[in-house]
Amino acid sequence: MISFNKEDKIIVTGASSGIGEGVAMQLNELGATVIAIARNKERLKAMKEKCKYPENTYIEIKDLTEDIDNLPVYVKFLKEKYGKFKGLAYCAGVVQVKPLQLLELNDVYKLFDINYFAPVFMMKGFADRRNNIGKGASAVCIASLASQFSSRSMSMYSGSKAALISSMKSIAKECSLSGLRINCVSPSDIKTPMVLNDAAEFMQDKEKKYPFGYGDVSDVANMVIYLLSDKSKWITGQNYIIDCGVI
Amino acid sequence: MKTADFLIELEDILQREEPCKENDNLCDYDEWDSLSKMALMAFFEKNFGLKVKLKDLNDVKTVSDLINFAGENIK
Repeated sequence: MISFNKEDKIIVTGASSGIGEGVAMQLNELGATVIAIARNKERLKAMKEKCKYPENTYIEIKDLTEDIDNLPVYVKFLKEKYGKFKGLAYCAGVVQVKPLQLLELNDVYKLFDINYFAPVFMMKGFADRRNNIGKGASAVCIASLASQFSSRSMSMYSGSKAALISSMKSIAKECSLSGLRINCVSPSDIKTPMVLNDAAEFMQDKEKKYPFGYGDVSDVANMVIYLLSDKSKWITGQNYIIDCGVI
Repeated sequence: MKTADFLIELEDILQREEPCKENDNLCDYDEWDSLSKMALMAFFEKNFGLKVKLKDLNDVKTVSDLINFAGENIK
């Protein structure tokens, strides 16, 4: 059975809703100390209150796209505040549905800031030997099935997630020298506010293609938890697709 | 760059928790691996315009040797 203890400090970004919230709450239930990061204070506080052990969840308000170059310094600041980290679950992200003809470079930059550059620079901070526990430390990034099987009008979103997976494979090799493991999880359509709000029209009638219907947050969180835990100690540099067998 | 500043930079490049000292033997550092050497090569090129080869760094023994390697760039 997977379990954590209070000394297992794990950063979860995007922790105020969707997959991040699910991962944070499940980690808390399994005994870990969670440092939950998001922009929205009220939603973070609500998540903390819903946790089984709210005293083991610490909230940090932060827009990860504000100063990406300094995210490693931010991780160092968190380490000095909470101690060395066992894990990082990068769950922040946005979906962008935009036909090619409507693409504007600034929108693409914004998308890549949160979906690609921020996780890479959070990883830079986490991978610093001074900020993690070394052997036993693990990081997981939420990517997307769209990285490999994209729908129309998802060109930039797909690209941002494909870039993330490729980079994490390389970073995983680098970090293996110091005992760190890094993996990605690529879900297909999951019932999260991000997908339901921003891509609602694309969700219509798609549910029937999934033998068991749309996935829940917990379906993805379970895989993330496994990859963060010592049960997956021989797994690194992988990208796990969770799509209910659609592809 | 002053020697003291370089020592702080080196500590950061190697991601060491302990300060670096001039007389330290680099082989005694757990952090002195191929990736750290590559990071140091990039640092020398960016800050001093020096193109250093991996072979050169493999021959370096002490922190002091590294400082000498940079010549007039570190005083």
